[in-house]
Amino acid sequence: MRNLLHNMNPSVKFIAVTISMLTIAFFFNPWTPLLFWVSILLLQLTMSHINWKLWLLFMLPFSIGAFGYLWTTVVFGADTGGTIIWSFAGINVTDEQWAHALSLSFRVMAFSSLSLMFAFTTDPVKFILSLMQQLKLSPKLAYGVMVGYQFLPVMKDEFTQIQQAQRLRGAVVEKHSWQRILSMRRVLIPMLAGAVRKAERSAFAMEARGFTGEPRNAYYRPILLSRMDFLMSFVFLTILLTSCLGGIWLS
Amino acid sequence: MLKSWKLKEVVLMSLFAVVFGIVYLLFVHVANIWAAVIGPLAYEWMFGIWFIVSIICMYIIRKPGAAFLSETMAAAIEVLIGNAVGPRLILTGVVQGLGAEAAFALTGYKHFNILVLMLAGIGSAVFSFVYGYFVSGYAALDPSFVALMFTIRVLSGAIIAGIGGKYIGDALLATGSLRGYAIARTKKGDVNA
Amino acid sequence: MPKEILSLNNLSFRFPEDQTATLQDISFAVSKGEKLVISGPSGCGKSTLLYLLNRLYPDNCDGSVDGEVLLFGKPATDYAPGEINHRIATVFQDPDSQFCMPTVEDELAFTLENLQIPFDKMEARITAVLELTGLTHLRHTIIQSLSGGTKQRVATACTFIMEPEVLLLDEPLSHLDPYTAKQFVEWLTELQLKTQLTIVAVEHRLDSWGTFFEREIQLGENGCLVKDHLFSPKQPILFPERKSVLLPQTALQVENLSVTIKNKQLLTPLSFAVHRGEIVVVAGPNGSGKSTLVKSLCDIYKPTTGTIQSDGTGYVPQSPEYLFLTQTVQKEVAYSGSSNPTEIASLMTRLRLETIRDDHPFAISHGQKRRVAIAAMLADKRPVLLMDEPTSGQDTAALLELFELIDQRSKEGTTFLIVTHDMEFAASLADSVLLVKDGELTGKFDAKDVWHNEDLLASHHLLAPKGVARFAESFA
Repeated sequence: MRNLLHNMNPSVKFIAVTISMLTIAFFFNPWTPLLFWVSILLLQLTMSHINWKLWLLFMLPFSIGAFGYLWTTVVFGADTGGTIIWSFAGINVTDEQWAHALSLSFRVMAFSSLSLMFAFTTDPVKFILSLMQQLKLSPKLAYGVMVGYQFLPVMKDEFTQIQQAQRLRGAVVEKHSWQRILSMRRVLIPMLAGAVRKAERSAFAMEARGFTGEPRNAYYRPILLSRMDFLMSFVFLTILLTSCLGGIWLS
Repeated sequence: MLKSWKLKEVVLMSLFAVVFGIVYLLFVHVANIWAAVIGPLAYEWMFGIWFIVSIICMYIIRKPGAAFLSETMAAAIEVLIGNAVGPRLILTGVVQGLGAEAAFALTGYKHFNILVLMLAGIGSAVFSFVYGYFVSGYAALDPSFVALMFTIRVLSGAIIAGIGGKYIGDALLATGSLRGYAIARTKKGDVNA
Repeated sequence: MPKEILSLNNLSFRFPEDQTATLQDISFAVSKGEKLVISGPSGCGKSTLLYLLNRLYPDNCDGSVDGEVLLFGKPATDYAPGEINHRIATVFQDPDSQFCMPTVEDELAFTLENLQIPFDKMEARITAVLELTGLTHLRHTIIQSLSGGTKQRVATACTFIMEPEVLLLDEPLSHLDPYTAKQFVEWLTELQLKTQLTIVAVEHRLDSWGTFFEREIQLGENGCLVKDHLFSPKQPILFPERKSVLLPQTALQVENLSVTIKNKQLLTPLSFAVHRGEIVVVAGPNGSGKSTLVKSLCDIYKPTTGTIQSDGTGYVPQSPEYLFLTQTVQKEVAYSGSSNPTEIASLMTRLRLETIRDDHPFAISHGQKRRVAIAAMLADKRPVLLMDEPTSGQDTAALLELFELIDQRSKEGTTFLIVTHDMEFAASLADSVLLVKDGELTGKFDAKDVWHNEDLLASHHLLAPKGVARFAESFA
């Protein structure tokens, strides 16, 4: 039971998540995203085993973002009429505005939880393999992405090394964000120049081993579709429908 | 469409995406904190960093699809390296990539001057805004606030992605490392360069 | 008469960006079972030649080919993309960019999938090739966590799994230290004996290969074939002799230095002193703390305990371009603003940078980049220079130039700490040697006491410099 989300076919999971998000986006009542959010949390509680501490850490910035959404929507909300429920510092908040604000904030929370659920239960390599096997993504693109993924630790290390070297030259870390963006160019150029070299070498190494980008006949690690995947899709669909209908009925 | 692509060009887009993925993660933390204070506006000004990959890749490789593919790959890599925004990023990447691609397609993939690159940045901004309007529910916000967000995003697209993209592309060309790519074969002084 | 499997007839090749041809009028043939090496200075087109044999070129660079390339009796152009690659397999030079999958097993499987091998045959072939190459214990290991030498073995295993007829080697040792390189050559010799594979290699440091090859083809600067003859084992580079120029003043005094990062002690407390004009070689096994030591000396890492007193330390990383911040060589040297125009001009002349003063610091040769980096450090008043692995991947000419560069600067009073595994290079330059192991300083030795002490060297994964006798004489 606790493995269900982890074992789900990554492409199916990806499609389920995408459809859910696009559907929820049509609803502006606070209940639909709230119901959906709670259901996703329940799903994750019962069908996965993840590090909840880490999850909370990742969730924190989104919660902050959701709060930002809440007050901007209250203050800058579209004038939709409705009755004023409270006033604060000269701003009148109507019940509709408040509902919208809650809805958007819950939406942020729901989408974030959904995304985190995907990220925490999906092996990136399997995800790419599945995109290639189930969704017929071109191997050229799939393995291109895979190479990038393998280079991540190397590039992160290079990034630190370049920053250290440049700091030694007296290149200071700027205070303001826009200054940091401008100074980023100094690190970017050696990084990108290195990336061009690495890209050619990696591509040559792959081609020298017979990679042509043509679809493959057989896979050493077939990513399978099973009955469980259909069942899980059904679970997602049920949650989605319940949230939508429940939201309409409650508001 | 992929037939005419060399593997080294595809891998190049992927590695560029990794580089910008690392850079982007640095800024998104800052923006997250600002988001609590000034709301979604915090992300608007830095949207251009998002679009820059597609513009640089198109500027270097100059093949139809370069903007769309690179932006999509960038989003996919962002998901793989654990960006918590996850799968919705892939959709965002597709939409933004299409925006930039549209601008290059409009000019027939013949011109890669600063104006076209800025237009591509604006293209990404507009496409991503329309998508965001829908998914993030901007409809619920006051129209003037939405207009402000839109303006900032378009400016960010034109300046950070368009001008910044050209600047980085040219700087990279000057290092001599782009031998073997379309950008290096265009003669100097060519108006289209 | 053995069968010819590869043959080149009057082959010329030109890159589309270039006016002149990279390879000119090259003809030779390779017979089955031969072990051939193609040598020549950097940039002579040897790798290009190799890429024409495995069909990476001309497709990948749109270059123009004149003459004929016959692979197994058939023109190279008649093969479909990928068709030839499992018969002619290649190992490249950079251990870090030859893989696209996370584990050794996945990488081998990737290769088999490329060849459209049926699923039920894969398992057996993977097991067999791991057995053959002695890598069975690494089957599930993450490739990026392996050392450079092991990565090269994995890359070689990936070629063997294709059951090729010819193995191309593109400077496979150039990123390995001599100790690891020697082990790799021994390992490959055994594999070649078992499989009787035809081998065509490109290499500029032939001394590490011993008697591996049978035949040598030399290319000249202009991409012409200069010599095609029997291979004879090569002597290591003969560096000029140099006189030590130690001055009495202390340039660097380290007391009780230790570094702990994230609760991990990378360096246990160590102390040593270095004189002005002294050349110190820092050596030890990979991961022993050499880089940590160097980085803490130049203030990139903050020391956890201890003190460092110096005239000012500068740092030249293995990739000197990491340091560069500007668009021209001139601006790069002047960047810090610590030197006046006369001093800058003098540095530019002494380091032979005048002719490239307006060039982009990224677009010049590796040797020139290093000179720019050193000039920039000296202009920033950092007369104690720390160099990280400057010998890695350098050919003979580059190493001799590096020798000159360091020797000249030390005569001017510059102090050097050089991290290197190359003991021939070290023996030619060093006044003293800092040996580091497991984060501890074994000691600071007088250079002449180290080269004969094979036990001490071996315990730090170092090979005694070949031609020790000569050094013994010169120090006697």
